[in-house]
Amino acid sequence: MAHPTESVSLQDKNYFLVRRLHSLLGLVPVGAFLCVHLLTNATILAPGEAGGEFQKSIERIHALGPLLVPVEVVFIFLPLLFHSLLGFQIVFNSQSNAQQYRYGSNLRYTAQRTTGILAFLFIFYHIWQMHWFGKPVGGGAFELHGAAGAATGAMTTAVAIQQAWWIAPVYAIGVLSCVFHLANGLWTSLITWGITIRPESQRVAGYVCAAFGLVLAIAGMGALSGFRTFDVKSPPPVVTDGHADVTSHGH
Amino acid sequence: MSKSFTVTIQRQDDPHSPKYSESFEIPYEPGLNMTTVLQRIAATPVTSDNKSSTPVAYDSCCLEEICGACTMVINGRVRQACSALIDNVLEESAGAIDVKPMSKFPVVRDLVVNRKAMFESLKRVKAWVKVDGYHDLGSGPRVSPHEQEDAYPLSKCMTCGCCVEACPQFNDKSPFIGPAAVSQAILFNANPTGKIDRDERLEVLAGPGGIADCGNSQNCVKVCPKDIPLTDSIAKAGRDTTLYKFRQFFGR
Amino acid sequence: MGKQNVVVVGGGLAGLAATMRLAEAGIHVDLISMVPVKRSHSVCAQGGINSVNEYTRQQGDNEWLHFDDTVYGGDFLQHQPPVKEMCDWAPRVIDLLDRLGVTFNRTSEGLRDQRRFGGTMYKRTAFAGATTGQQLIYALDEQVRRWEADGLVNKYEYWEFLGPIVDDQGQCRGVVAQDMFSMEMRSFAADAVVLATGGCGLVFGRSTMSMICTGGAAARAFRAGANYGNGEFIQVHPTAIPGTDKLRLMSESARGEGGRVWVPKKPQDSRDPMSIPASERYYFLEERYPKYGNLVPRDIATREIFDVCVNMNLSVEPGRLCVYLDVTELPPDTQKKLDGILEIYEKFQGDNPRKVPMKIFPAVHYSMGGLWADYERNDKTGGMVMGSLRNQLSNVPGMYIIGEADYQYHGGNRLGANSLLSCIFSGLFVAPTIENQLASLKDGSAADAPSSLFEGAVKEHKQKTDDLVGNQGDENPYHIHQELGDSMTRNVTVVRRNKDIEETLSKIAELNARYKNVSLSDKGNWTNQNLSFTRALGDMLLMAKVIAQGALQRDECRGVHYKPDFQITAPDADNPKELRKQATTWCQSFKKKNDQWLKSTIAKYKPGGSGDVEFSYEDVDTSLIPPRPRTYGLKGAEIIEEVWREMLAAADNDKKAKVGA
Repeated sequence: MAHPTESVSLQDKNYFLVRRLHSLLGLVPVGAFLCVHLLTNATILAPGEAGGEFQKSIERIHALGPLLVPVEVVFIFLPLLFHSLLGFQIVFNSQSNAQQYRYGSNLRYTAQRTTGILAFLFIFYHIWQMHWFGKPVGGGAFELHGAAGAATGAMTTAVAIQQAWWIAPVYAIGVLSCVFHLANGLWTSLITWGITIRPESQRVAGYVCAAFGLVLAIAGMGALSGFRTFDVKSPPPVVTDGHADVTSHGH
Repeated sequence: MSKSFTVTIQRQDDPHSPKYSESFEIPYEPGLNMTTVLQRIAATPVTSDNKSSTPVAYDSCCLEEICGACTMVINGRVRQACSALIDNVLEESAGAIDVKPMSKFPVVRDLVVNRKAMFESLKRVKAWVKVDGYHDLGSGPRVSPHEQEDAYPLSKCMTCGCCVEACPQFNDKSPFIGPAAVSQAILFNANPTGKIDRDERLEVLAGPGGIADCGNSQNCVKVCPKDIPLTDSIAKAGRDTTLYKFRQFFGR
Repeated sequence: MGKQNVVVVGGGLAGLAATMRLAEAGIHVDLISMVPVKRSHSVCAQGGINSVNEYTRQQGDNEWLHFDDTVYGGDFLQHQPPVKEMCDWAPRVIDLLDRLGVTFNRTSEGLRDQRRFGGTMYKRTAFAGATTGQQLIYALDEQVRRWEADGLVNKYEYWEFLGPIVDDQGQCRGVVAQDMFSMEMRSFAADAVVLATGGCGLVFGRSTMSMICTGGAAARAFRAGANYGNGEFIQVHPTAIPGTDKLRLMSESARGEGGRVWVPKKPQDSRDPMSIPASERYYFLEERYPKYGNLVPRDIATREIFDVCVNMNLSVEPGRLCVYLDVTELPPDTQKKLDGILEIYEKFQGDNPRKVPMKIFPAVHYSMGGLWADYERNDKTGGMVMGSLRNQLSNVPGMYIIGEADYQYHGGNRLGANSLLSCIFSGLFVAPTIENQLASLKDGSAADAPSSLFEGAVKEHKQKTDDLVGNQGDENPYHIHQELGDSMTRNVTVVRRNKDIEETLSKIAELNARYKNVSLSDKGNWTNQNLSFTRALGDMLLMAKVIAQGALQRDECRGVHYKPDFQITAPDADNPKELRKQATTWCQSFKKKNDQWLKSTIAKYKPGGSGDVEFSYEDVDTSLIPPRPRTYGLKGAEIIEEVWREMLAAADNDKKAKVGA
């Protein structure tokens, strides 16, 4: 409604590019990373030695060695930051009327914005709590290896999750927000990019995206319950191959 | 039977005055619609508590739901007053009716709002066929029945404002031009002659306030009184702008 | 020297057509309209727009036949040259609309599809879904918006025309208009003023017309000296849905597909209509016209429905006039074909017409009459001289009349799908005239006229408005309007009897007196719709007088003007010889009637009096097609036509003999 002013800002000049980039980055790499992350975490439920399969999975990721940090920054943190910042602008420019017009798509519209904010807050908390970035400010609980090369990936995660009663519910809300935001974002991006045009194709895409979201939600909740019920008193197995010194700062 | 019902109207004397609400008691009769109720109030502007007031200002014209004038928010839902039958409206709200002006446009007075912004948007997207002139140049291009069936529903847009009123993306903070204008751009891009200016329209749709500002709440298509497939137009605009930008990037 | 400027009042099909065509010629236009132009009444036209086309040509159709159908349908009351010119241009008008992107329905080959309409044997009507008027006006609106973006057109939407500004030499120099939001009043200087202000259905209270069709603008031009032609010719559509706010059209196709019209034999029978047995139903059209049944022509259906309700008091409801139009007995497949129109009924009435008979009643639909306009005859073609300074010009120099506001295209009755054509044609055709007029102005532009002229005009309107707002009385304008509408509808629509019309005329006089005591419930100075309506009410009372007085004075039957007391007695003999004798008498009466009444009614405002109107009669140019009787439904129609041809031939021979001698 407000007409753009005469002076064209840099964002206005590349308006389309910026918005499309926002949509794209939400899917790849951020969305793709979420899938990998949740599926990896779900390996906590794998049969066999407790946390063994999970440890193997994360060892594979950490095999990147010194490259891991730049990869994380370029392919996860920066895209996520861009998606979030522009996302906040989008949220602030919207005027939800889900109370007034209670159509499914309108409720999803509002939910997309709400889950976006929840996801952002949760990810912020999650990084502080788990990532070594958080260490200087009392977080950074996750350790891939303990003393003497003990495999502590699952153990440190579980300890952090079980530290207080409210942490697991916070994770549940946070993870489900991320999952909804991705699945619904996938559905809207199919419209945004002009792939699903007719209502019928949008309906079909809706079912597919819902199924996709359901799978991710199950994976995420499964992982959470896995860590929630992980026996933190059992001694961690010792890792035999030797990356311990390099990646002791965790994931 | 002297049944009656209450209509509560949000009023505002002019753009700078405060809003207030007034209730009117209307004797029931079968077949009433909202415009008749407003006509009755105009004839005898006396409120429920017996104070004489002024007629409620409102827009109306054809009363057949084809001119788009009488859009207002009745019981929280934007619609045309002429096709809002009182029997149906009363059913929604258990005997009382609440009427407000559209919230996305500046109020002129009472239920009259200024929808100039919508017509300005039509200018921005160049919603016309740029013919050479109005002298006789023979008939227009051939159009298949299929193309006509696609174009006709889009061409029924009466710029009533329902779609933008219900659109959470159309507001003071956002530059979005709204579903109606997007759909008109798509209509003229599909016209055999209108196609010639396609890129100019897509450039507008790719810019600030264009298609990227749609949030896919899809309220527009649900409140449209003419059942225009607005979300089809929006998705097409998404596809066409993407392809256009690719073409532009790679030098056509 | 100021810039030349044209003011177009009214943004319907005619006004927009004129505006875009003038802008194309580089002429600046101020377009004044009470509503955003996209909302003009033209949007309500459903059926289509007529022109000869390649398809009908191959069946023997041509422009002349379209012209003939139009003047025959209009009962020869039109000057023929403008009608001929319009029909000649029609195919090109449709081509232009096609190029502008109108979404006409298509054949499988991608050509424009056509349908057949009343009053012709040919499929001449191009259409766009069920909303042709809407589609046409949008195409023109888009073109005007294009010129607006280029700066050649300034739109003044939500501005109300208050009157023309006429200087001491009688030349129209502009208009005074009022912003309906801020109530600001100002003058617009113009070298030409074009009035495209539509019809006056609201004079009849509720009609099929939009809320803006008060005839207010025409009345204001009339007061300023413009003549009004054929005011009494008001078309009534037989089947409309009587709503509490307006009357909405119900298409003829409901009867075409087998819908039956009836009323309960017991007046205002309160039983559920479905429970009334056939023996207690009066299928009056079927009983009175066994041959045509429910598909009698429009005017006859209208008269019979009216007769049953008003004269026999058999209206279905006690409070309002209506009869049943019943499609409940039709098989589901047939009902499905009618879905589009049945949905309109359901949407606005809330009843399902597949289960309950529809309630319908005739409704005022179109004003054939309007402000008087001139033309220049082209003796070579029989049409008009393109660009002539006289075309579409009113009797006030500098003021042009087009569209439904103009009296000259439809005579005594309008054919379906000819109105959209006349609106666009007159709008396009007035442009070269105005171009020539502006070029001929040697003394600069209207803007150079003394400012006192414009200031004086605005002051006068301000005074009138202040007087109206300040009026202390106890009359309610809405109630006066209702009484006016009731009386006009009852006595001056379908069946007209002089004593009834006289009753309405005295009612109008009474209402005029009461109007002087009218009191506004809103005396404010911001978006005062109460003021706008009350001002228009004064104009409606004047238009009512023009219509009713014209109807009273015209003692004949012609087109839609039906006076049973002045009907020529129809032949009824069975004996061929006797029948021929009666036919001869009939034709003699017909000739006598034409000698007296084949004339346009011209009303002139007589200032100074108490809103009095002076009438005169103008000969009609029937030089191209000699008038002939409309014999539809008459016994011995063929004999009458034969006798008439013989009489014409004899008259012709007489003339030749005289010339020879």
